Amino acid sequence: MVRHDAMPTSERQTWRGPFAETVVEARGLAKRYGDIKAVDGLTFTIERGTITGFLGPNGAGKTTAMRLLLGLARPTAGEALIFGRPYRQLDRPASRVGAVLESNDFDPGRSGRNHLRTLALATSISDTRVDQVLELVELQQAACRPVRSYSLGMRQRLGLAAALLGDPDLLVLDEPANGLDAAGVHWLRSFLREFASQDRTVLLSSHLLAELAQTVDSVLIVAHGRLLAHRRLDQLDGGAEALERYYLELTKEGLA
Amino acid sequence: MIAQLRCELLKQRTTRLTRALLLWMIVLIVLIVLLHSFGLSPSTLRVAGNQPKVYGWGTSIGALFAALLGALSITSEIRTGTIRPTLLATPNRTLAIGAKAIAAAIGGVGVGLAAEALVCVIASAAFAIRGIHIAITAGDFVQMLAGGAAAAALWAAIGAGVGAIVRSQVGAVVGLCVWLLLIESVLAGEVPSAAKFTPGSSAGALAGMLQSAGSLKLVTPAVGGLLLIAYTALAAGAGAFTTEKRDLG
Repeated sequence: MVRHDAMPTSERQTWRGPFAETVVEARGLAKRYGDIKAVDGLTFTIERGTITGFLGPNGAGKTTAMRLLLGLARPTAGEALIFGRPYRQLDRPASRVGAVLESNDFDPGRSGRNHLRTLALATSISDTRVDQVLELVELQQAACRPVRSYSLGMRQRLGLAAALLGDPDLLVLDEPANGLDAAGVHWLRSFLREFASQDRTVLLSSHLLAELAQTVDSVLIVAHGRLLAHRRLDQLDGGAEALERYYLELTKEGLA
Repeated sequence: MIAQLRCELLKQRTTRLTRALLLWMIVLIVLIVLLHSFGLSPSTLRVAGNQPKVYGWGTSIGALFAALLGALSITSEIRTGTIRPTLLATPNRTLAIGAKAIAAAIGGVGVGLAAEALVCVIASAAFAIRGIHIAITAGDFVQMLAGGAAAAALWAAIGAGVGAIVRSQVGAVVGLCVWLLLIESVLAGEVPSAAKFTPGSSAGALAGMLQSAGSLKLVTPAVGGLLLIAYTALAAGAGAFTTEKRDLG
């Protein structure tokens, strides 16, 4: 695994005292589309160095919540803060946050490398870093081919490469395991573990329990735009199975 | 701003849309200019005042394709989803749209020059073949190229504004085509006193040449340029404003 060396290690590992640092914070976050409450008063915090899974059935509001966190959509109520500020007010956001919301946000005729170069130019990142992230996600071979020719798994990795360009401290990933084969999922897991072990933070969503249980430290369980639970996995006896039982119970109540 | 501009120029160079637009423009110009330079009768074309009916197409087709370049730089990003990484990298949307408008204007200079030059070459060759004296002076040709390039640059930025407001690819393309090719000509025929102030006629004034010039008395190049700058500021400003307000991506 390539080291993330765009920022000196000393800056990253500042001592943060007895209390964990809050990286993401949602306060009464809400979004309505007409009569539909896509996100309905979410309040939670995510601490530095953790992997948090956003878990919920399809249409639970996970993607909308992520779009609100990233400033792509405006909340109807409440606020979303990243490193203490709304995303749109961050200085050089790419160096703080990397995000992938859709697995196919590419111009089909543009090569993977050129896709990354456009983003690198916008955020004043060197072409050397572009090649570094291509290597990191193992896409060097296909880098000069148009994205049209990429498999879904390759597109997921290219999206991840784009998110990693600025060497961020926080990754926000919507359904990152979609379309990955078993080897791909395994690769993603160890990548995220490695990332979090460097005292960085990950928020990822999934509608599949199995993908998450082995990767995350804690889960935010949402349904109908509401937060049903925020649990650390080590507080649940019985690991993955317990999580599944817990999740099904909660979402059943949530639906009722 | 420099960073965003370099990013947008690289996008412009690395999308197939740019090449497709240029190709379509060339096809359209060849067709229209051949049709007019061979279709109109020699007696009509010998009248100096009628020659803009052929030469003037470079201005409006150049403006149209520059506008499409600007509009597609935004609508195609919305269509493919690349607008999400774009706005994540540059959350300041006024900056993002501004960079797109300026990049489009830079590309628009090339589009305008190419359109005017192509029209000049094809029309002059056709006139020579038919033995018709070309009444257009060297000075007119220079104004056509320089003014046409400037008009296309401004129209490209107008297109970016329109793209940001409309957001739909088909809507923006159809809207710009209908405006420049249909509504502007109808206005020029029906209400020439008002039509000389439209964005299309202003482009014609800047280039000194427009195909509807028969029925329309163009304003001076300076007034045309100022009008076009005002339209550009309006369109790009409205595009940035609506993009700032809306959920996108």
